[in-house]
Amino acid sequence: MLGPAGSNRPIGPTTIHVAILLSVAFAILAGAAGYWGVVRSQELARSPDDAAVIAAARTVPRGRILDRDGTVLARNEADENGELFRVYISATVSQVVGYASRIYGRAGLERTYDAELTGLAGDPLTDAFAKFGAERYDPKDLTLSLSYDLQKAAIAALGKQRGAVVMLDPRTGEVLALASTPTYAASKLADPATAAATFEALRDNPAQPLLPRATLGRYVPGSVFKIVTAIAGLGSGAVTPETTYPEQPRAERGGLLVEGFRVRDGHHPETGSEALDFVGATEVSCNLWYALTGIETGGEALVDYARRMGFGAPIPFDLPTAVSQVTNGNGTDPGGFVDDVELANAAYGQAETFVTPLQMALVAATVANDGELMQPRLVTAMTGKNGTRAIGAESMGRVLSGADARAISEAMVQAVEGRLGRRFTSGATVAGVTVAGKSGTAELGGSGEPHSWFIGFAPAEEPEVVIAVLVEQAGRGGEVAAPIAGQLMTHWLRGGG
Amino acid sequence: MTVGAPSAQPVAPSLPRVLGQIHPRPRWQELRLLVLVAVALAIGSVSLGAVRTGTFGLYDPWGLGIYLGALFASHVAQVLAGRRTDQILLPTVAMLGGLSLLLMERLPQELVVQRFFGTAFGLAEVQLIWLVGAIVVATTLGIVVRSDSWLRRYKYTWAAVGVGLLLLTFVLGSEINGQRLTLQIGPIAGQPSELLKVILVVFLAGYLSENRALLVEQDTRVGPLRLPPLPYLAPMVAMWAIALGIVVVQRDLGAALLFFGVFLALLYAATGRVSLVIIGMILFLLGSAAMANLFAHIQTRIAIWIDPFADPLGAGYQVIQALHAFARGGLLGMGLGGGLPEIAGRPPIPEIHTDFPLAALGEELGIIGVVAILGFYLVIIQRGLRIGVAAADDFRSLLAIGLALVIGIQAFIIAAGNLKVLPLTGVTLPFISYGGSSLLANALVVGLLLALSDKGVEPPPPPQSLSRWRRLTRRGAA
Amino acid sequence: MDGFTLVLWGVRLLFLLLLYLFLARVIRALLRDLRAAARETVDRPGRLVVLESPGGEPAVGRSFGLDVITPLGRDVNNAIVIDDQFASAEHAVLTYRGRSWYLEDLGSTNGSYINGQPIDGVAALGYGDEVQIGQVRFRLERTRT
Repeated sequence: MLGPAGSNRPIGPTTIHVAILLSVAFAILAGAAGYWGVVRSQELARSPDDAAVIAAARTVPRGRILDRDGTVLARNEADENGELFRVYISATVSQVVGYASRIYGRAGLERTYDAELTGLAGDPLTDAFAKFGAERYDPKDLTLSLSYDLQKAAIAALGKQRGAVVMLDPRTGEVLALASTPTYAASKLADPATAAATFEALRDNPAQPLLPRATLGRYVPGSVFKIVTAIAGLGSGAVTPETTYPEQPRAERGGLLVEGFRVRDGHHPETGSEALDFVGATEVSCNLWYALTGIETGGEALVDYARRMGFGAPIPFDLPTAVSQVTNGNGTDPGGFVDDVELANAAYGQAETFVTPLQMALVAATVANDGELMQPRLVTAMTGKNGTRAIGAESMGRVLSGADARAISEAMVQAVEGRLGRRFTSGATVAGVTVAGKSGTAELGGSGEPHSWFIGFAPAEEPEVVIAVLVEQAGRGGEVAAPIAGQLMTHWLRGGG
Repeated sequence: MTVGAPSAQPVAPSLPRVLGQIHPRPRWQELRLLVLVAVALAIGSVSLGAVRTGTFGLYDPWGLGIYLGALFASHVAQVLAGRRTDQILLPTVAMLGGLSLLLMERLPQELVVQRFFGTAFGLAEVQLIWLVGAIVVATTLGIVVRSDSWLRRYKYTWAAVGVGLLLLTFVLGSEINGQRLTLQIGPIAGQPSELLKVILVVFLAGYLSENRALLVEQDTRVGPLRLPPLPYLAPMVAMWAIALGIVVVQRDLGAALLFFGVFLALLYAATGRVSLVIIGMILFLLGSAAMANLFAHIQTRIAIWIDPFADPLGAGYQVIQALHAFARGGLLGMGLGGGLPEIAGRPPIPEIHTDFPLAALGEELGIIGVVAILGFYLVIIQRGLRIGVAAADDFRSLLAIGLALVIGIQAFIIAAGNLKVLPLTGVTLPFISYGGSSLLANALVVGLLLALSDKGVEPPPPPQSLSRWRRLTRRGAA
Repeated sequence: MDGFTLVLWGVRLLFLLLLYLFLARVIRALLRDLRAAARETVDRPGRLVVLESPGGEPAVGRSFGLDVITPLGRDVNNAIVIDDQFASAEHAVLTYRGRSWYLEDLGSTNGSYINGQPIDGVAALGYGDEVQIGQVRFRLERTRT
């Protein structure tokens, strides 16, 4: 009976296979439902694109946003239909607070903390119960570490120039000022009556006022990057503060030959004949000493130390940040450099090195806080129905030893306060306080003026404030950015406190 | 156990003969399950009403009453008919239909407005009319159909009707959203592909039951694969061509996927030959790849599927909003009426009542509710397959299995589309999605399954395949 | 959380609970049905017991286990060979399809009978029914487990 058993076998067994297959398929669906509804639930349901979040924005009063002194930066007003819209204190905070517009969505902190401001976010258990409750929303007021007073001063100091100022407390990572110019009137974007015209004008403006330069602008750093090289060189042990290079004085005149390419320098008439050590090289901002230190340190260590301070990835912060880089990473040399020429140039901040002002502030903060980097943050507390929840400081880890950090700090003091340093970096000083810092003049390769940079901190002995100043295409760092830094640090240490 | 003939005395002289044929048979299991359905739906209605009106009471008691009335009327009719048909299918389908009714009641009624005899009906009312119509269709078929010869004998006629419908849709169909799915003849508009799927199963059951023995033969070798005689592969190629034709002509990916999926599963059930299924899959993949290269809209669909978040406000909008709905629902859901935030009076997903009802239910009933709904579909599939396995001959077996697969695979395709497991296609979620064509076609499926589940009727015709097998073996022995 | 919310909570959970109660009931019914079917499958296929055989082949009292398809006739290729002058070479086929037995006459000269009635083509039969091929009579019986 072989034949008939084959051709007329019952349909049962194959049907069971089909049933099993379908059961597995439906189990996959159940798994997918679990994935979206449980695993990704919190993230999706709080996203600003969520329909519930958008719907709530029209009716539920958003939480207010306050600065560190309690000044209200963002509040609500109702239009003639009773639907709410946002009003902001002034254009100075737009690049930080952002806007919440019915038509154009959200930006800045209004976007990052949308769920909290709307009051949708809580812990999962509270959420589960709140879903069934009538009182579904618990909008939170945000308290920022930002000082509105200092922020205003920073915007005023930048004036009509395009640029950015980042000021933070190195001990806690609290951001005190985060200014970008030009700025824009966020209230006009949030007001439904003026939103459309405002948005179009802003979008078409070539100065890109909507771009928060402090966090999303990427610039050639120039000499301020030497601090990164110093951190990597001293941190990895490749160089010491006493390291000198015998070939350096000669190269001042003829240029330094690296793999057939001449790295030129030559603006040190008074020191040109000496072999400089770390402090001397930093005081006069000697490109050759740093180029040689970069090669001595090696690409791998340079990139690694930069990464510890936030390079190579978005910085964990309350606002979106652009990724700062030491190199493109396209090369085959250690660290991703193409060759030693690129490494040598990168070591003093040219080549393919691009940084955000916030990133450079973190570099200065690392030195200021004895080698340990605190995570930058803006929101220090949230206040809802159930009281206030403070958000504590967090460390991003130790970058280098305290001794190395102090050595760099001393060199930076020399760069501002030293006999020669004062000449390069005029105006960064604060009366009665020792300031540490480094200016930068980032050549752009074309005919345009260089970017003007300054990073630093004060008081040098017990740093309370770190600053990074960038002014786009404004000239020498010591002449444009440094005076702004001096003025703002004075403002903070004397007036703001 | 036997219940006596109805005691009512004949009123009219012509009635005795009719009543004399009635031998009621109780259906306790079905009754118990239907009562449970009624209680559950009433609680659901209260849950919806509390959100909508702020007081505890049935939301739209008339709608629920009419629906439950139709269900119990169907039950009574089946009791009176006295057939030994399945008692689980109807309550399970009734539960899904009830969820559909609750969902349509809570959606904005202006989504669909149809005028019947001068009166305008909103979404829930239209859906209720179709649901009652579906119950009537399923019950009637389940009671009346006692012979399958009208399906068995004319399978090629049915196939011709199907192809004709397809062509008619192509020529006369109206185009909506780039898809040519709807056929309007006079005042009646419908989606022929819903009917087509039933016709397809009838044809396939006829063809496969007749040629089962031959398809199992292995006389052609292609590499490691052993194939049946090549001429018998013709229908597979034809099915493949039809599926691709549907994609080209109707731009209906979902229907193509459904038809081909049902075909392959049924082919496997009939022959047990994995090689045939593999060849079918390869053909399908090749066809899909070719289609994806030729048509931009298919590329778009696939791109959306892979990363809907790339264009959250444009192409990916609906899919993302569906995922957000599941996310908002979480484990327990927002409760009926508690979810689906309306922005400027509109639900976040425009096609929520046809393409995304599972997302809506996922938000309001949570993952717990979605899993229950998936379970209901598995129950329907299991019943269909069970009826198929127990059927008296191959044709009935394959017919029942095919009908179960149509429901199961269709539910899978659209649920998978909602959950981003597969690219989104425009098929309906059986018994839940809004739409007359879909509800009536699926009622047809349920009615046929009910009829097939009764074994006490007309024996199947003489097994012709057997005689054919005997001829074959004799040839083999000689 | 006020009373209204609490009751609403209860109603919502009760609804979900009822969905699962229904599902549990349905699945229980399915399992019961499957168990019954499994018992039946063990019973199937049945057997044919020879009641009367004038030629002695097959012998009276002999019991044949049945397959899904069991051909009967005088030819030695048949599963049940009936050595009887009134039986044709390929006389009839007994098939089990679904849950029922069917006897199909393959155009034999003298026909096949169920309970003494000649069959026309194919006919259904149940356990206890008598099948007659030529002069040999069988009874279809359930296989004991």
